[in-house]
Amino acid sequence: MSQSGIDGERRRFIAFALAPSLIVLFAVAVLPAIYLVVTSLTPFQLTTPGSATDFSAPLRNYALLPGDPRFVNSLAVQAKLSFWGVLFQVLFGMLLALLLNVPSRFVEFARTFFLIPMVLPPIVVAVIWKLIYTPDISPLYYAAQALHFTMPALTSSVDFALTAIIIADTWEWLPFTFLMVLAALQTIPNEYSEAALVDGASTLQIFWYVTLPFITPILVVSGMFRLIDSVKAFPLIFLLTSGGPGTVTEVTNYYAYLLAFDTNEIGYSSAVTVVMLLLVAGISLGLVWMGRRREALA
Amino acid sequence: MNTPSSRKATPGRLAAITATLLVLLSPFLWLLQMSFKTNDQILQFPPPLIFTPTLEHYSALWHSAFSASFVNSLSSASLSTALALLLGVPAAYALSRWAGRGKHGLSFAILVTRMAPPIAFTIPFFLFYRWIDLLDTITGLVLVYTSFNLPLVIWMMQPFFDTIPVSLEEAALVDGARTRTVFTRIVLPMVTPGIAATAILCFLYAWNDFFFALILTRTNARTAPVAVVNFMNYEGWEWGKIAAGGSLVMAPVLIFSLAVRRYLVSGLTAGAVKG
Repeated sequence: MSQSGIDGERRRFIAFALAPSLIVLFAVAVLPAIYLVVTSLTPFQLTTPGSATDFSAPLRNYALLPGDPRFVNSLAVQAKLSFWGVLFQVLFGMLLALLLNVPSRFVEFARTFFLIPMVLPPIVVAVIWKLIYTPDISPLYYAAQALHFTMPALTSSVDFALTAIIIADTWEWLPFTFLMVLAALQTIPNEYSEAALVDGASTLQIFWYVTLPFITPILVVSGMFRLIDSVKAFPLIFLLTSGGPGTVTEVTNYYAYLLAFDTNEIGYSSAVTVVMLLLVAGISLGLVWMGRRREALA
Repeated sequence: MNTPSSRKATPGRLAAITATLLVLLSPFLWLLQMSFKTNDQILQFPPPLIFTPTLEHYSALWHSAFSASFVNSLSSASLSTALALLLGVPAAYALSRWAGRGKHGLSFAILVTRMAPPIAFTIPFFLFYRWIDLLDTITGLVLVYTSFNLPLVIWMMQPFFDTIPVSLEEAALVDGARTRTVFTRIVLPMVTPGIAATAILCFLYAWNDFFFALILTRTNARTAPVAVVNFMNYEGWEWGKIAAGGSLVMAPVLIFSLAVRRYLVSGLTAGAVKG
């Protein structure tokens, strides 16, 4: 068989192997995205016939967005949740990784158990924190009572509801940053800190001048991944606060959900979702760009 | 060789690690112990730490509609895993061997589908399913889960294929074997561990889903995560059942993720679809 015959046969196989996936991905990902954008240009409500194809004022939904206090508030809530959540996850994840970065069989065995919160079904994480935050059955409230200290109701208080969500979210995703930072720590050659030690550097100085510069890229990348995923926090909010009290914990994702499946404003909800998608795509592009730059530097 | 003091496993450090682990896992352990208590014991103050465990909540769940939703979860997660592997494994191989332009663009597009918030897919899928009568069916769930499991398979399997030397395949091709035969007889057997790890991750993502099942199912195809939440809404606050149901939902996840912990990182950095 000639060389070109082999190549041709190979090329046909590649096309044949790739085509079904591309067709299915087009059907289950691209088409829905197009449909979402089209719906966002209509005042679609399930109860109003004909509203799904009413394109008389295509940008009406988008024009309404800046003046919708609940939408603007939801962006602010999402920003607060993402900022504090990601900050705590990166900070505590790093501290935990530093603590567990020791050569020991026992620690290697224990490491797996630190991952449990991350792999649990998100709804189970929400159930776990529901138990912690419900006064009648919570160990937290038992302890407070034993110490004669009055715990405020966390999830129904305007001051603490968002903090309660941030705590649960940090607990759930701390293992992710921990895992990423630990992997980075294990690539640092021992010689570096040994040399610094010989020169009389303190542990803190070694951390600041040797370890931290090494792991900064991975801190940024894992933070970005968490930032993108923080937009998806749904089960915690659904089960713990339902977006309340008032709209204190109502993030954009939850607002879009309520609009579409509670108040039937499908067209408007689609517009909210499109804006959210654009924000996530922007952050993703930033992540890819940073990855490229790191590859170029390496 | 001298390990720097900051990297020694001193007894004090091991104690600190153990204490941190216990504190971190205490909310999880609280749920677990609660599932073995009677309803009276759950509400007792102070909470009894030593008690005779009861399986009454588990057996009550077994005889209720919860067992059907557990089966729904199992079948939708396994079927979508099988479908995603069937389509995605050959595609990942093709992408790994294809040197053409557009390869990186395609990989990026695949990654983006995983990063999109689920609500973006829920609205179109809900409208479409309402129209073609797929709401509240296992088929409907399987299709939605494929939308995030197929990109995961392609993303996870590509590095496995990259590690297999092309020269190995070329030798067989020169001997007159067809590419299809080379793929099924030589390449596939070499990536079996990768396929197993990918399959488990796909299963977990589908199993963990709450959002799609909440919106796209009612009663017939209701999955276990949604059923657990329903114990809070309709039948009063049955804490024992909620704890036992939660424990049952997390059991397969815990077992499987211990099995694939090595691949957990690459699987999760592909943009976790949770929520």
